[in-house]
Amino acid sequence: MNRRIEKNRVKPAAPEPRGGFSLRAWREQHLYSLFSSLGRLAARPWATALTLAVLGFALALPLLFWLLVDNARGLAGDVGEASQISAFLKPDTKADAVQALAVRLRARADVISVAVKTPEQGLDEFRERSGFADALKVLHYNPLPAVLIIDPRGDPDAFVAQLRDEATVDQVQYDAQWRQRLNAILGLGLRGAQVLAGLLALAALLVIGNTVRLDIAGRSEEIAVMQLLGADAGFVRRPFLYSGLWYGTFAGMLSLMLIAIVQAILAVPLGRLAVAYEHAFAVHGLSLLQAMIVLVASAALGWLGAFFAASRHIAQGLPR
Amino acid sequence: MITFDRVGKRYPNGHDALSDLSFALGAGELAFVTGHSGAGKSTLLRLVALLERPTRGQVTVHGRNLGSVRRRGIARVRRGVGMVFQDHRLLLDRSVFDNVALPLVIAGAPREEIAKRVRAALDKVGLLDREKSAPSMLSAGEQQRVGIARAIVAKPPVLIADEPTGNLDPQLAAEIMALFGEFEQVGTTVLIASHDLPLVKRMGKRVLVLDHGKLIDDFKPHNIGP
Repeated sequence: MNRRIEKNRVKPAAPEPRGGFSLRAWREQHLYSLFSSLGRLAARPWATALTLAVLGFALALPLLFWLLVDNARGLAGDVGEASQISAFLKPDTKADAVQALAVRLRARADVISVAVKTPEQGLDEFRERSGFADALKVLHYNPLPAVLIIDPRGDPDAFVAQLRDEATVDQVQYDAQWRQRLNAILGLGLRGAQVLAGLLALAALLVIGNTVRLDIAGRSEEIAVMQLLGADAGFVRRPFLYSGLWYGTFAGMLSLMLIAIVQAILAVPLGRLAVAYEHAFAVHGLSLLQAMIVLVASAALGWLGAFFAASRHIAQGLPR
Repeated sequence: MITFDRVGKRYPNGHDALSDLSFALGAGELAFVTGHSGAGKSTLLRLVALLERPTRGQVTVHGRNLGSVRRRGIARVRRGVGMVFQDHRLLLDRSVFDNVALPLVIAGAPREEIAKRVRAALDKVGLLDREKSAPSMLSAGEQQRVGIARAIVAKPPVLIADEPTGNLDPQLAAEIMALFGEFEQVGTTVLIASHDLPLVKRMGKRVLVLDHGKLIDDFKPHNIGP
């Protein structure tokens, strides 16, 4: 602006717009672009709705997959973090032999703690948890063995092997193994969700870029005239960037709505599942923060897609 | 104000549109460029507005060597050059007011300033009462006058016009040319390409004659215009 004023100084027919005005003018231009681009989208409701639907689904799919994996991880987490080892002793092992084994194991360097669960404790627990109390009354004896619950230190594989060789040990159950497998499966699912999210975000970028490109092609005469009149790249690009921003924001909203709908549909069967498990696991959706991140990220995607499409076209309109 | 120093322009297809062209135009001077079609009139104007770059030589506008203007600076150069086209190039989906306002909007002028200047420009071309009309509602002569209002609204130091009367009947053409004559009086450097030699001569201004991209004559007719 300042240079323009200098340029025109030779001809003081009328004052140039002064620099103090430019910030306000800049704000006015942006506000104008913001709403005029919205109006332009609204002028073609079907084309806009179709584009938004494509974008909304592209964004919702990886989010849903990620939610699924995240919930499954939460469930698995309830089982307990510890890689505990359960040693079921032979049924005829005497109580003092059980204690002796426990003391011997506690003395080992690769054991953090050993808890003893007597057959009586086991029976009480079983009664409480399983609801088979009446059936258990029929039994004349306690069929449950004594159990040692061992918290190992470090890699427990060697320890587990030695434990299996103990004379009084009947069976060793090592939870960490299936936990490891579950974690591996969940990790794979999470990575899959990330890859899917990346690919579909790229697809969203391309869809927005292509939509804006068509928009630009439809207004190429207008752009050419503006460039002739001295509009710089930022000015020409601006309305399209705002279009992209709106596409991204609305697509983000649509994807959040899709997720909410899927959640609502699944709420009843999931609730039944939770009741059947007597285990109040709560299925969680996106937090407010996560929803905001989705909106901001999708708006940014829209802006970026429009930026690439518009910049390419603008560069073609200028001599090198 | 505008100097061409041994300027040549060869298009990528090998056609030499201009060769070894030199002339200087003073500040506030009005000159015509004339010649048969394909003589290089449009190319000459396109070099002034940086729509093209010369393949050799140097173009200077308002003391600025256009060869040193980088791509990012092209827009600023064009804001200092008002352009009038044969086909007026108005945006048909916008009102006359909005069309004329465009250079000011691009320059980032505040709204009140835009309204004031647009009305002044429209008043100058005699179309103040048509500001709300769509360009398609206007006659060819009126459309061209809107195009001129758009070219002068930001008060650029240089005004170029490529066949501004090409689509108009003789009387309208004379009116439009007379309008350009007025801008010279307010200090704007005006360069007009036209193949209508009789009309150009009647204006009594400096005339550059091009033939196959070469300057073959540079004269000022003595009979003063209508």
